[in-house]
Amino acid sequence: MFSKKMVLIVGVIILITVNVILLSFSSKSQSTFGLGRVGLSLVSPFQELVTRSIRIARDIWEHYFFLVSVAHENQNLKKSLNQFVGKSNQWHEIDLANSRLRDLLNFQKAPTNKVVAAEVIGKDPSGWFKTIIIDKGKSDGLQKGLPVVLPTGIVGQVIEAAAHYSKVMLVIDRNSAVDALVQRSRARGIIKGESADQCRFEFVLRKHDVQIDDTVIASGLDGVYPKGLRIGRVADISQRNSDIFYEITVAPFVDYEKLEEVLVILPPQKQDIASQQ
Amino acid sequence: MRYGFFISICLFLLILQTTILPYIPVVQGMYDLLIPFVIFISICLPIRESLPFALALGLIMDNLSGSPFGLYLTFYLWLFIGVRFIIKFLRVSNKFFLSVVVICAVLVENILMIAIFAFFGPVRQLPVDAVGVVTQQFLWALATGPVFLLSLLVLAKRLNLQWDGAAPPPNAYG
Repeated sequence: MFSKKMVLIVGVIILITVNVILLSFSSKSQSTFGLGRVGLSLVSPFQELVTRSIRIARDIWEHYFFLVSVAHENQNLKKSLNQFVGKSNQWHEIDLANSRLRDLLNFQKAPTNKVVAAEVIGKDPSGWFKTIIIDKGKSDGLQKGLPVVLPTGIVGQVIEAAAHYSKVMLVIDRNSAVDALVQRSRARGIIKGESADQCRFEFVLRKHDVQIDDTVIASGLDGVYPKGLRIGRVADISQRNSDIFYEITVAPFVDYEKLEEVLVILPPQKQDIASQQ
Repeated sequence: MRYGFFISICLFLLILQTTILPYIPVVQGMYDLLIPFVIFISICLPIRESLPFALALGLIMDNLSGSPFGLYLTFYLWLFIGVRFIIKFLRVSNKFFLSVVVICAVLVENILMIAIFAFFGPVRQLPVDAVGVVTQQFLWALATGPVFLLSLLVLAKRLNLQWDGAAPPPNAYG
C-alpha cells in the first residue's frame, strides 16, 4: 500500500516533530526526565582527577620555580592587611552597634547560613551556555536551587546535584535571572545573563536614580540569593524616549573565566549535614 | 580492544573540552570536538554499536552542559542518521567530502543552539555575541576539524579497528 520511501519520509517527519516537542518541553521546564545525573556521575571523577593534576603541577611551578615576585607581593599584601585590619575593627564596632539596636527594636536575628567550599572541576563544553561542574553534591548537603557565591560576589545557583558532583548555572548564563537592587538608591530590577563579562539589569524604572559605578546587590526577593550579596557595578546606562525602563549593563564583580573555588550556601535545615563532616 | 579504544578517545575528548581547553585562552571558542568523533563512529562501527554510542555521548553532553536536556542527544542522533544516509545512499565518502561534513555539522549545531535561544529561550531573542561565537567555532572547525577526523580514521586503520562489515566507506582512509 505504502512504498518504502513513503514510510521513510513519514518516519523522519514524525521523528522531527517528536524531537521539537521534547526540546520545547525540556527547555521550558528544565526537566531532565530523571537522566540528569548519569553523565555527571560518570565523567566528573575523571574531570576531578585531571583538574587536581593540573593544579598540583601549577602549584609546584608557582611555589618552587616562580618565586621572583613573591617578596615584593608579600610587602604589598602586608600593607593591604594593615589597612583591612583597621577597617575590620570599624566593621566589628558597627556590627556590635547593629546587634544592640536590633535587640532594642526586638528584631529577629538573621539566620547565619553555613557554606560548603567546592572546587570547580569542569566548564560547559558549548560556547553558548555558562555552567560549571563542582566537586560537591548531595552527600555534602547540596541540592537544586542553592546559591553559589564568592567573597567578591554572586557566582550562580545549583541546577543539578548528583551524589558527589553538581552543575552550577552562572549568573552570566542567558537563562539566569536574579532579583536585584541598586545599593545606593534601592532601585529594583532583574539581573539577566548576557555574555562572558556583562549582564543586563532590566525593569529598572526611569524614575529611580541610577548612576555609572553604582553597586548592584541581590534583593533577596527571588528566594534564592540572600539579600545584600554583591553582583556587580553599573557599567553603562541608556534611555530610550519611549521606554519606561532604563537599559543598564552591569559588569559582574566575579571573574567567571578564572573560577577555581566557590562557596555554596546551605539552607538552614542542611547545616547539620555540613557540621557532621 | 576496539571498545577500549573508542571509550578512551571519547573520555579524552570530553575531559579535553570541559576541563583543559576552557583554561587555555588561545583556544577559546573551540567547537564541539565530539562532532568529528560521532562522524567517525558512524563510519567505523556498525549501527547496533555506533547508535547507542552516539546516544550515550549525547546524554553525557546534555548532563555536562547547561543546554536544554536532549539538545545534544537530538543533534548527535541526526548527525549519525545524516552521515549514515550520505554514505549508504549517496555513496560519497572521500576525504574531502568528509571534511566538508565536519564543518557543516559544526555550523548546524550552532544554528540549533541559536534556534533554541530564539524560539524556546526565556527571552526569545538572538544572543548578542552569536556572530562571534559562530565565527570562532567555524574557523576552528575549518582549521582542525578535517585533520582531526582524518587522524581518527588513520589511527583506526593502523590499529585495525575498522568495522569489517559493509558500511566503512571504501576510500575513507585515503
